[in-house]
Amino acid sequence: MIPAIRVRRKYLFYIVAITSTIFSAVTVGIDTIITSRLSARYPSSEVSWIYGFNTFFIGLITTILICLLLSIRVRGRRLGSVIIDPAFDGLRFITKEEFKYHIFAGLGNAISTIGYFYVLSLMVDPSAVIPFFRVVILYLLLVEMIAEKNAPTLIEVQSSVIVTLGAILGSISISGNIEIAPLAAMFFVVNPGWVLFSISQRKLKLLRINGKPNDSINIRLWNLIFTLVFVIAIMLIHDISTGTSYIADSLRNCREFFGMVAISTSITFFAYVLYIRALGMGKASITEAVRASIVIFSIPVTFIISHVVEIPVPQSTVLWLIKAIGIILVVLGILSFALAQITAYIFIKAKSGVRIEELIEKIWKIRGIESVSAVTGNYDIIAKVRIRTLPKGYERIIRKLESIPDIHEFRWYSVLKEWSTV
Amino acid sequence: MIKAYILVRTRIGKLEEILKKAKEIENVENISVVSGDYDMIIKVRVDNLEDLMKLTDKLHLIDGIKQTVTYVIEKEISL
Repeated sequence: MIPAIRVRRKYLFYIVAITSTIFSAVTVGIDTIITSRLSARYPSSEVSWIYGFNTFFIGLITTILICLLLSIRVRGRRLGSVIIDPAFDGLRFITKEEFKYHIFAGLGNAISTIGYFYVLSLMVDPSAVIPFFRVVILYLLLVEMIAEKNAPTLIEVQSSVIVTLGAILGSISISGNIEIAPLAAMFFVVNPGWVLFSISQRKLKLLRINGKPNDSINIRLWNLIFTLVFVIAIMLIHDISTGTSYIADSLRNCREFFGMVAISTSITFFAYVLYIRALGMGKASITEAVRASIVIFSIPVTFIISHVVEIPVPQSTVLWLIKAIGIILVVLGILSFALAQITAYIFIKAKSGVRIEELIEKIWKIRGIESVSAVTGNYDIIAKVRIRTLPKGYERIIRKLESIPDIHEFRWYSVLKEWSTV
Repeated sequence: MIKAYILVRTRIGKLEEILKKAKEIENVENISVVSGDYDMIIKVRVDNLEDLMKLTDKLHLIDGIKQTVTYVIEKEISL
């Protein structure tokens, strides 16, 4: 047996953050090199489609290969279930229930990725593009506010303002200007697409397939398939209606860049798996924080790439300073957003004659509940809760629990300090 | 595989020492210090009931632990 390492949750978070981040930063580097090469040949509006097609097409091939590898049985267990997701049990077709979420996830992924390549082909500088990806946290907050009629807490408002301001500073281009076209694409195309993608993705992960939890490997594979279908459909419509040759151009470039894109998409697969694992630790906001630390790596990556392709590098110290301040603000804002959390256990006694199996399903539907367990003993159910502030715990959880008539009594235990095994 | 929550009551002033020792016990998945009529909630993952007994025995040997209550998990839904 492998000796367990026991660390505070804080440290666990840093380990996941850094690994996933380095993976993502490398792929952004490869993206930049290829888009800048393509930009020399095609207009930037076409580059994003060509490279988008390449990424999803070659990505699908590499993902299928990786998935087949992960399906191999080692001592009776699938490789994928041992190293990636315990819920994985071979590749399978999607169920009817999953279908609609996959449509939204695929559409969201197509929109945000193509939009991102468009911005990248316009700005060429990863350290200017990456901070903007993090503004997505603002949108998630907004969606939550509207959906739940829930006022955000001070810390949420504070951190999202810091993140937005930081992103604007970080995206200042070499000439000292802020360009409107990529900025608008980021705010109105890329980030909303990402919100659609991540919300549907989360829904998919929470679905139960044949009574078992859904696995991240199949979700990833089918998401790529749906995304590719959307990308091809839009390109076809564009080709036919305006007489362009996007698809033919894409196929030609597929062969040329196959090696590089294959490496980039394989790394993406594992970066994504880490992202899902972070989601599995129970916190969407922490996961966003994991992705936020990529901002720090954007400057060294930009430096390395600038040796491979021509990237305009800021000349004056003042510009570098402004950029650095922007990046620090983004990271700081997201860290404080993710780490300002309260954990608690709730012990619940059910009324006699109540079916516990149904009751735990009801409790599981309450937002902020991280896990529910039916247990033997004095209490019937132990639920674990993760929320931003204690008043939210009252509004979101206590009030909902009190409205369930099957509950006889419950007790709240606030967690003061926590350790977890990696 | 069996998962369980173990609730722990401790003697005043011993918490930090107990934590240090509890962290070294095998099969402990998570330790939370809580406020309320218990002081710690430990989540464990063992292969069978016998291992669970051995684990609680180890906990009982730690100086300062007054009482433990074990809740075996029958069904769990989590992310």
